[in-house]
Amino acid sequence: MAKTVFVGMSGGVDSSVSALLLKEQGYKVVGIYMKNWSKDLPGMKCPWAEDLADAKRVAVKLGIDFEVFDFEKAYREKVVEYMLAEFKKGNTPNPDVMCNQEIKFKLFYEEAMKRGADFIATGHYARVETSSEVPLLMRAIDENKDQTYFLYRISDEALTHTLFPIGEMTKPEVKKLAAENGLHNAYKKESMGVCFVGEVGMKDFLKEYIDIEPGEIREIESEKVLGYHEGAVFYTIGQRHGLYLNGVAGEVNDGLPYYVVKKDIENNVVYVSKNLNDEHIWTDILELKDVILRMSPAVTSEGAFARLRHRAPLIPVRIILREDGTAALKFENKIKRPASGQSAVIYGGEICLGGGIIV
Amino acid sequence: MIYLDHAAATPVSAKALKAMEPYFATEFFNPSAAYLPAKKVAADYEAAKDTIAHAVGAKGTDLVITAGATEANNLAFTAVAQHNYGKDEVLYLETEHDSVRAVAQRYGGKAIRVLSSGLINLNDLKTKITDETKLISVSLANNELGTIQPLAEVAAIIKEIKIDRYKRGIKKPLYLHSDASQALNLLDINVARLGVDMLTISSAKIYGPKGIGALYVSHGVKLSPLTLGGGQEKGLRSGTENVPGVIGFATAAKEAKEHLNGNRKKYKDLKRILLSGLQGYELINKKHTLDNFIVLCYNGVDAERLIYLLEDREIYVATGAACAASKGQKSHVLTAIGLNNSQIAGSLRLTLGETNTAEQIHEAARIINETVAAERKRING
Repeated sequence: MAKTVFVGMSGGVDSSVSALLLKEQGYKVVGIYMKNWSKDLPGMKCPWAEDLADAKRVAVKLGIDFEVFDFEKAYREKVVEYMLAEFKKGNTPNPDVMCNQEIKFKLFYEEAMKRGADFIATGHYARVETSSEVPLLMRAIDENKDQTYFLYRISDEALTHTLFPIGEMTKPEVKKLAAENGLHNAYKKESMGVCFVGEVGMKDFLKEYIDIEPGEIREIESEKVLGYHEGAVFYTIGQRHGLYLNGVAGEVNDGLPYYVVKKDIENNVVYVSKNLNDEHIWTDILELKDVILRMSPAVTSEGAFARLRHRAPLIPVRIILREDGTAALKFENKIKRPASGQSAVIYGGEICLGGGIIV
Repeated sequence: MIYLDHAAATPVSAKALKAMEPYFATEFFNPSAAYLPAKKVAADYEAAKDTIAHAVGAKGTDLVITAGATEANNLAFTAVAQHNYGKDEVLYLETEHDSVRAVAQRYGGKAIRVLSSGLINLNDLKTKITDETKLISVSLANNELGTIQPLAEVAAIIKEIKIDRYKRGIKKPLYLHSDASQALNLLDINVARLGVDMLTISSAKIYGPKGIGALYVSHGVKLSPLTLGGGQEKGLRSGTENVPGVIGFATAAKEAKEHLNGNRKKYKDLKRILLSGLQGYELINKKHTLDNFIVLCYNGVDAERLIYLLEDREIYVATGAACAASKGQKSHVLTAIGLNNSQIAGSLRLTLGETNTAEQIHEAARIINETVAAERKRING
């Protein structure tokens, strides 16, 4: 009998083509729209109703069953609340990573299994290899689209039962296949769910939930007050926009921009510098917490690499594992320090070994 | 294309389009300006308002022009003192459109129940009216089922209550508002005969342009403006007049009156063709309904899937009201008349209009039958 797959359908072309491929491969496919968020945000109309209609339209076209799983409450609790709590601590968390860990590869996985699914599937660009004892999460063929950065925290159990149908394809191939099969969303703009609010939008998003609290902007070298900000929690290390400095946003006199180099959350002070070589910006070591390591880095011959942002280059790294579950990443050359709360993801060749949260 | 969703939108008639055209770039003047060409535009505007008002047996000066029916419904509720809620009570029919429901709920309004026929439960109305009730809103025809409410009977009940109030020295007014936006081209409407104090009408549903509507307000009803400014529309709706919109609305309203009897006969015939051609359905709106409204239930089928399947064949239909369906909400109207979840999920709304021909309806029936059969086959695996 055909195996049953519950495929998460967002209304975008990637998950639509995933459903199409699974159907062609002979699975019994059930399309699921996960309703995680429906509220409009400043400057952004939440597209959930249109996305749902797009997903359902494709499901109907493919002749597969379709349902909505309402995870709005859980998303609010597990992703948004976590995000707000982390921001209030001065960190810059990644809601995508959390959404995959808590919603898509946990609640969706569990509900699908409960409902008799053999597998779940999503339209992520990633590959999974389940022939060995531990399931392997592998980078997508389309290096430009690889999404394993967002997936490193999902559980082995879920991964064992996950299919990534488009992991072997490139984005242009996915679009072409969608168009050839008459899927109406073949050329739809990339989804803009809350996971993709982006850095500029994030501040507006946070302001919906966190009150503005004006504080000082000081130059780190001189301690001189240069201007004022709307709350240290809204700023990220390395940021150069949205600073209110003597009436000129981001620039003073000589035209060189100031960067945020440090945040003092307790005293609500944001420190800035024009010095691109400031010691707060650069580091050759990163401390990690909440480390997940699916396999020892020793299993790969070419050594370990770290990725510090989605689509950022892979950087050679030495991993120092400690018994308390923390770890440190040692780099040969200094790197620009990512904001605390972001993820560092570790690779050995094609395999995503795991990663951790940057302290 | 076979368009069967005339309750959602209608194409602007050729006459209305032509009548509007000069007022965009030639007769563009601000009606409030002092020179003669502007005064001519002001006169045309007032004449158009008269034409619209005549369509419901009123005068142009009794109308407040608004940017559509939603705004007109909102304006009607300003009859209730805004800083006084708790004292002024409002009642609304539970099957009203969201533009009445949402406003009524803001004013703490209580819902009047409907019977399984979709008609107002007059006993429930009587028990819910108190000495504090100031406004009652009951649509003339429902936007999901086309159910025509016995407004004259409602008005008669209200009249009795008013007489009783006056006898007891209670001075609080009691107004009847009705949203007639679905009915202007399908029923012979006369505000005096209906006994309403306020009536909402819409251009977009009668082959006029979108974004224009009106509230008929009888003498003595005191409203508060929603927008302040230059004092247009007797101070109730400031803002430079939408002259082309009103001209288009007036042309469409005039045509609606002229075509009324012919269209009603046409829709009755088309409905008969459709209902005898379709198979395996349950008719939901059997009685007391607008001539062009057909609500069908295909039990066990997800009607939303049918929309997408029919869309591929260029047949456009609806489930419930467009605004509710797009939010994935269960229709409050179908719930109110006692349908179960499976019946609600299987309900399709087809609304006939001037674009339809008998040939189209035969064709639509054939394709809908095919589509439903294929979908049932898919479900049964």
